[in-house]
Amino acid sequence: MKSLLTKSKLTLILCLGSLGLGIANNSYAMGLRSFVALPVEKEGAVIRLAFEHEQDTDTNTLTTSAAYGISNKQTLLLSMPYRLSTAGGNRQGDLSALYRHIIWQEDTLSGTNRLGFLGGAIIPTDDDRDGAAQAGFVFTHFKNRNEIDIDALYQAGSKNRSDRGRYDISWQYRLSPTERFDWGLDQELNTVLELNGRWTEGNKAVHQITVGLQRIHQKWVIEGGVAKDVINGNDLRYILSMRFHF
Amino acid sequence: MRKLLIVTLLFSLALIQTAFARTVEVEVHGMTCAFCVDSLERKFGKMESVSDVQVSLKTKKVRLETDGSHPSIDTIKQTVIDAGFTPINIYEVSADQE
Repeated sequence: MKSLLTKSKLTLILCLGSLGLGIANNSYAMGLRSFVALPVEKEGAVIRLAFEHEQDTDTNTLTTSAAYGISNKQTLLLSMPYRLSTAGGNRQGDLSALYRHIIWQEDTLSGTNRLGFLGGAIIPTDDDRDGAAQAGFVFTHFKNRNEIDIDALYQAGSKNRSDRGRYDISWQYRLSPTERFDWGLDQELNTVLELNGRWTEGNKAVHQITVGLQRIHQKWVIEGGVAKDVINGNDLRYILSMRFHF
Repeated sequence: MRKLLIVTLLFSLALIQTAFARTVEVEVHGMTCAFCVDSLERKFGKMESVSDVQVSLKTKKVRLETDGSHPSIDTIKQTVIDAGFTPINIYEVSADQE
């Protein structure tokens, strides 16, 4: 009964999200499953709240992420998950702190190409857990109505923490508007298709496919999607997130 | 008489203001999205000497209505760079070009 109620709530949240996707305005890119491709201007900030429901374990997680632009090339990225489901022990996840440095950027009239280096740490929020050092890269290619983001991150665990790795390949395509206004903005709708991989030491890498939609306004983005394990897993995840630009 | 002087002074100031006002357009490469527009609008919108900012994602241009000789070309360039983009060309737009 409780499970049914949880599922009904989830359906309601997803329906409301989809409704928002249907009636809101303008578009900004970046994949659904990763936060590291997001460009942030100097002294600018972006906050993201992402809700994820994992079907197999019936677990709901809220991940809060923040990005701050130190300069046009340097960004600080923080992320912390919190398990909403009450079962289990400590619900607070570990803090991920990443520094991103854009080491190459080529801007063109129709888009941009950027390559960034990522480095940072996983800071445990519980004495029973260990931290990790993390490093990786992010590449973005944007041209006309298409954006492709590729990122990979490796986490080298300390003490008892297992090493972990992940990659995300995301393609975003602007469905509407097909033509932009001469001046000013119209809301945009993007489709998102992703190939994601998650690996933990001692286990096989799980590869996933994610499909979703993004509705992008000048100051906020609402996005939702479904992620399905396709290799070495069978789990299904529902994702709904909002981003705000400050 | 005093009122007439004040009105004349205000009128003259308005004329001077109009005479020195200028429209500047900046061609910007690397703009891709609504957040890019927001970044540029925030950056230029904070400047006292800029009275209006318009951004075109279609033509990749930023149009600034400024009060006079400020902001300088160098300041405009640096602002675009700080927002994460590449300024290509900066020029004043005359009334008949608009």
